[in-house]
This record gives sequence, C-alpha cells and structure tokens, in this order.
Amino acid sequence: MDMKLSRRRFLGAAAAGAAASAMPFGSFRAMAASPFAMQASWINDAEFAGYFLGIDKGYYAEEGLDLSYASGGPDVIPESTIITGRADLTLTTPDTTIKAISEQGAPFKIIGTQYQKNPIGIVSLKSNPINKPEDLVGKTLAVPPVNVISVEAMLKLNGIDKADVNIVPYAYDPTPLIKGEIDASLDFTTNVPFTISQQGAEATSFLLYDFGFTIFNDTVVVTEETLKTKRKELVGWLRASRRGWEENFVDPTVWPPKWADSWFNGTGRTIENEIYFNKAQQPLVESPNGIFSLAEDDIEACLSALGQIGINGNRDMFDTTLLEEI
Amino acid sequence: MAGSKQWAVPLRNIAILLLIWEVVGRLDLIADGALPGISEILIGLWNDRSDYPLHVWETLKASGLGFVIGNLLGVVAGVFFVLIPMSLRVFRGLNIAIFALPPIAIAPILSLTLSGLTPRVVLAALGCYFVTMTATVIGLSQSDSRAADLIRVYGGGNWLIMRMVQFRSALPSILSGLRVAAPNAVLGAILAEFGGGGRWGLGAYLLGSLGRAEPERLWGIGVVATLIAGLAYGVFALMSHRFVGASRAVTMNMSVPEKAGDGSSSPVSSLLAGAMAVLLPFLFWWAFIRLLEVPAMISKTPIGVVEYLFFSPAAQSAQERLIAALWETLPITGVGLVCGLSFAFALAISSRLFPGFLRAFMPVALVTQTMPLVALTPLLVLLLGRGTSLTLWVTISVTFFPAFVILAQGISMVPRATRELAMAYGASAWQELRIITVPASMPYLFAATRLTVPRALLGVMIAEWLATGKGLGNLLNQSRGYMDYGMIWTVAALSVILAVVFYQLVVVVERRVLQRMGMSTAE
Repeated sequence: MDMKLSRRRFLGAAAAGAAASAMPFGSFRAMAASPFAMQASWINDAEFAGYFLGIDKGYYAEEGLDLSYASGGPDVIPESTIITGRADLTLTTPDTTIKAISEQGAPFKIIGTQYQKNPIGIVSLKSNPINKPEDLVGKTLAVPPVNVISVEAMLKLNGIDKADVNIVPYAYDPTPLIKGEIDASLDFTTNVPFTISQQGAEATSFLLYDFGFTIFNDTVVVTEETLKTKRKELVGWLRASRRGWEENFVDPTVWPPKWADSWFNGTGRTIENEIYFNKAQQPLVESPNGIFSLAEDDIEACLSALGQIGINGNRDMFDTTLLEEI
Repeated sequence: MAGSKQWAVPLRNIAILLLIWEVVGRLDLIADGALPGISEILIGLWNDRSDYPLHVWETLKASGLGFVIGNLLGVVAGVFFVLIPMSLRVFRGLNIAIFALPPIAIAPILSLTLSGLTPRVVLAALGCYFVTMTATVIGLSQSDSRAADLIRVYGGGNWLIMRMVQFRSALPSILSGLRVAAPNAVLGAILAEFGGGGRWGLGAYLLGSLGRAEPERLWGIGVVATLIAGLAYGVFALMSHRFVGASRAVTMNMSVPEKAGDGSSSPVSSLLAGAMAVLLPFLFWWAFIRLLEVPAMISKTPIGVVEYLFFSPAAQSAQERLIAALWETLPITGVGLVCGLSFAFALAISSRLFPGFLRAFMPVALVTQTMPLVALTPLLVLLLGRGTSLTLWVTISVTFFPAFVILAQGISMVPRATRELAMAYGASAWQELRIITVPASMPYLFAATRLTVPRALLGVMIAEWLATGKGLGNLLNQSRGYMDYGMIWTVAALSVILAVVFYQLVVVVERRVLQRMGMSTAE
C-alpha cells in the first residue's frame, strides 16, 4: 500500500531507463532523509502523475524527503488521515476541508492547489446532450453523494430549482449513462469521456467551474501542527512536486506508458485512458504563476462559490507563504 | 451406477442454466448487454490473467486470516457461553451488536484507525464470528441429553460432557457455520479493499474497473471471488457431509428439556445480566476508541453521540435528517425480512422434497452471496430501476442464504426413525413435512429468523447506499463525504440498536412457542 522510495524501487526505475545518471545521488541522500507521508485522494491514475514522476526521478529525495505515498479510495476521507497523523499532507476537495475548518474547528491549512479549476463536471451523451445547467431540468442526474451539495450550488447559481432535477446516487460506473438509464452523471471530465468513447458512444461535458461553481480541487492540506514543525519538508514537497508536474506536462503522453508495470500495474485501467486523462487535465492544473499557486482572486472566487452553499471560509484558511519559498 | 446417476441430474441442470446464460448474454437480452455471456466473461478473464494473481493473493491473505481469527473466536466464545450459560446473557448485546454492525459504516472507520491489512482482516473476521458462534452454541445445546445424563450418572462433569457428547454432536452445526462464514470472510475483505485505498486485492481491482463500463471485467472479478468462496464452502460442506452421519441420533429423545435452565438464577442476578448485556457493547465501543487513541474529532464515544444528537448546535438538523431517513428505511426492512425468510424456508423445504433441485440451485445461490454487491448493482439497477423492487431484491439476496443453511441443517437433523414412523402410517411426503419435519425444525426457524433480522437492515442500507439514494444508507454515505463524523457514528449505533431490539422481539416469541412445544431454545 505504501510506496516507499526504497532501493528496490530505485533499481526498478533505473532499469526502466528513467534518468539513470541522476538517481544514485538521490537514493543515497534518501537514506538519511526525513520520512514524509502523503495521502492521495484516489486510486493510482493520471491524476497523480506529477507525484509518481517526482518519486521515480528522485526529486523528493533531492529535497531530503523519504516520501511514502498512500493511494486513496471511497472510504478514505483524506482529511482524516492527517488528523490521525497517518499522513503529513493530503489532497482534498476544498468544500469538505473548509467546511471542517469552519464548522468543526479542524486545524487545517490549505498551502496549495493541484487543480486551479475543479475537473468535475456534468457528463452526458452527444445523442442526448446536456450542454448547460438549464438542460438538466426534468432529467436524471447521477451524483456521488459527496458532491450533491456542489451540484445543488451550481443549480442555484444558475437559477434552477434543485427539485426539478432527479438526483440519484452515482457508483463510479458509467454503464447506466451509456445504457440511457440516467441522462447525465457528475464525474471527472478528464476521465469518463474516454471510457464512453471506448464503448462506442460519444460524450459531451461541461465543468461546474464554468457555470459559477469556481472552486479548486485536490487542494494541498496540512495540519497547523505540521505547518509549524515541518515547514522545510513542506516547501521541499511543493518544490519537488512542481518539478514533477512540469516535467510531466512537457509531453503528457510520455510518462503514463512508463508506469504500466509500476504505478499503474493492476489498477484495472488502461494506459490509453491515463494518457487521455493526463492531456485533459493539463489546462486545469497549469497556472501562469506556477503549479500549485493560489492567486488572491482565485481564492476569493473559491470562497464566494462555497459561500453559496453555506460553507463560510475565509482567507486565513489559506497559507500562500510556502509557495513563495519555492 | 446409482452414484453417477445422482450427480448426472444436477450436472445437467447446471449445464442447462449455463447454456441459457450464454445465449442470453451473447444476444445482450438482459439490460442491454449488462449481463455478458459466460464465454465473454471467460475471454475477459483470460485477457486480464496477468492482473489477477497479486489481487487474488492479497484477498486470500486478508480473508483467510480473518476467517481463522473470526472462527476461532466464534468457537471459543460458543464453548464458553455453553459452559457458563449466564455469560451468554451478559454477552448477548455485544454478540448481536457485532453481528449487526453495518460493514459499510465501519469500513471507513477501520481504514482510518487501523493500518495496512488490519481493516480487511477485522472486517472479514467480524463476518465470521457471529455465524460460527451461533452455530457452535446451537450445536452444543442441541446435543442428546440422554448421553449427557449417562456421563453424569458415572460422575462426569460439564467439561467431560462437553468433550464426549456435546462437541461431537455440535460438529456438523459448527461446520455448517463455517460454510456460511467462508463467503462472509471473502466479502468482508473485498468490501474493505474496495474502500480502503490499497493497491492490491480484488476489491481494489473492482474499484479501478468500475469506471470502465466493461461488465465482463466486473463479472470476471465476481466469478473469481465466487470461486474462492465456493472452494472454501465446498471443503466445509464435504466435511459436514462426512460428519453428520456419525453424530445424528438413531432414535429420538422423548424427554422434555428442563425449563431453559434458568431455575438456579435469582431475579436479581438475571436483572444484572440484562443490564450488563445492554452496557457491554457501549463499554467495548468506548474502550475501542480509548485504546486506539483516535482523535475526538473523528471518533465519537457513546457520550459523544448523545451530545451530537441532543446538545450540539447541529442537533435539531441531525434529528430531522435521522427521523426522515428512518421513516424511509424501516418499513421496507420489515417487508424484506419476511420475503427473505419465506424464500429460505420454501427453499429448505423443497430441498427435502426435491433434492436434485437443491443441488442445481446451490451454485446459483452461492454466486449471489459472493458476487460483490458493488459489482452487481449496475446490473440490478438496469434490470429493476432504482425503486422498491431493487431494495427488496438486494435484501432477499443478503438474507436468504444464511437462513437457508441453518434451516436445511435443522431439517436434515430430524431423525430418520421419526419420519419413517409417519411414512409407515401412510403419510404422504407433504403430510410428513407438516407433522414431523416442520415442527421438529422450529428451533432452527427461530435461529434463522434471529440471524436474518440484522442482515435485512443491512441489505436495505446497501441498496440505499448504492442505488436508491434514500434512507439510512444514503445518510451514512453523505455524512462520510461531509466529514459529519457525529452522524456516521449515530447511524452506525442506531442501526445496531434497532437490530438488537428486533432480535430481542424474536427471542420473546421464540421462547413462548418453543416452551409450549416442549423444545429448547437453540441459542
């Protein structure tokens, strides 16, 4: 479950021909490196490409970090792992994080964001297209229960009564959409359209972000305690991760195939799917101010969108000073 | 010759079933192709063959370890409860609570508080403990009192009776418990893998595969899970088959058992036991949290839940959501319970009347037990929609199998001499059933009902969670997403309390009926 930057892993990466010359120093330093654990928000897919690349190429080791990486799943509430101390840093959805801070007094700080624009959106078939929120009226929309409030917010922002849309649970399986049992589903627009095309149908989608629900996603979250005691490590993690993501996006088709027998081994997904994902997410991750950046007006947009659904955050929940130290 | 013929009929039936499946699947007749043909599933399995070994190994490790631990605890606890009858009453609340814990509610809590393989092992073990413990207690307490009397006459004590009489007579019952426990362990492990975020295990593979819209893959994983569970089931079925002949009474015991063995306990001590039974689950709950040192924000003690539900700022909204959810969940649970039980009873009876049908049906029944519901749901939704019928089907599918196994066991334990007596007087097969077999298996019917009550609630919650988006199941899932830990613990605790209350109701009816019939409670 944990993927440590061990000697074996290093050898495997080297054998794959990945940056053979730069590695020995990285792995040498890793032996004296401080342990650092990150909890991802989902199973291994292209969503986390930047981190896989950083680990394989020894970027974290160069920052003095012995990074252990834990993948996520539907029962893993990322924030919980940093409360229990099982991880130092995690990737979250900002709505749950900010709700937890404001309502339960959770000691979290957001120190960066992987997605400038949240990739979740409404996916439908071209044969029964839903191109804007108004098209949802009278239709059946499958939504993971976690995201119901986000969808309701988007509907409200567009003047639609949520009672006019039939919202049913979404179980991560696009079959009901392809078979026409539902009209649309809420999912990562970077991912599902590929699956649908594999099944011989064509998908269309729009981002909630583009219809007023302007929030980040995979926000980088730590506890205030970690922020105090491991600041150096956090800055190192941000720097190494940014390097990983930048290199990944030089050509998003290059890296996924290299991970067929390592990170993506046995996930049940195809490499073509990961390549599609990696290409589709590039414009959502990249930012003129550098990957992970938290621009003031973007923070404001995120907070005001969340305010629409009764989640009242403020600027203090973000700490942008670590990004400045990269 | 007769032996080979005995196997030919069920084999033929299975072959016919598989053929129908293949044709229906190939022609995409069911739910527009959501049910693939057998050959398509096999081709998919072959194409994915390099993926499976590591996933299967991981699932085997977790479920095997959980199976051993859960059953060991179950048998030891069962023996302990029979040797010290008072302890059974003290532990009753805890036992039922363990059985009724909704796995979907504790999976996130387990993967939060424990690391690595442990959440999977715990969930698998929890699926085994209650079934095996109950089977052990039933088996031990249903032993022939004449043999026990004989040992007592010769000066033997409780332990000797246990060793020489009760253990032997309990063996088939324990084995039938293990039979049910085997698929439970596999399903528990897979459920924890599905949610827990590990890389390996059939559950993790299932999660990655769900997004692909390829039914062949989902069914392939289901088939592999079924094979694992089926093999384990088969081993214990075979053992039980061999042992049952050696331990069944040749003639029937005509003496009426003494009244529930309660003569010795005073009203005060029985009241005390009752109070302990209620308190113990809460004590364990509290100790679990204290021992693991989970931060208070995530883990709620019983007091924390009361605070959340009645005194927190969110109390009123929490109560409203909870009551609305209960109102959606409870009625359908009652209906599902009756349906599942009737189905199991009809099946157990027909297993006596048409043994061939049973042997053909068994593999199909086993598939419904081991096919992970997360994989089956897309198909069920496409077939049945997202309404009441879906909830009922899911509920029946999680309830009927354990009830059926217990009932069939009870029916097979009826002494042959008694049945032959009825036959000798010219009774038809139906009359014999009505006069002998059905009344004789009453203790097992009640045991099955008790076993089914919490599962019915679980079945409804699973359907709500995966498909209908209503009731307690959905509330639980939504709370998980909102990090509403107070609600997560509240729903889990409430579902357990409800299951215990229903269970207790069955026990009251059971005592009255069995006493009147001169039988002992199969507790």
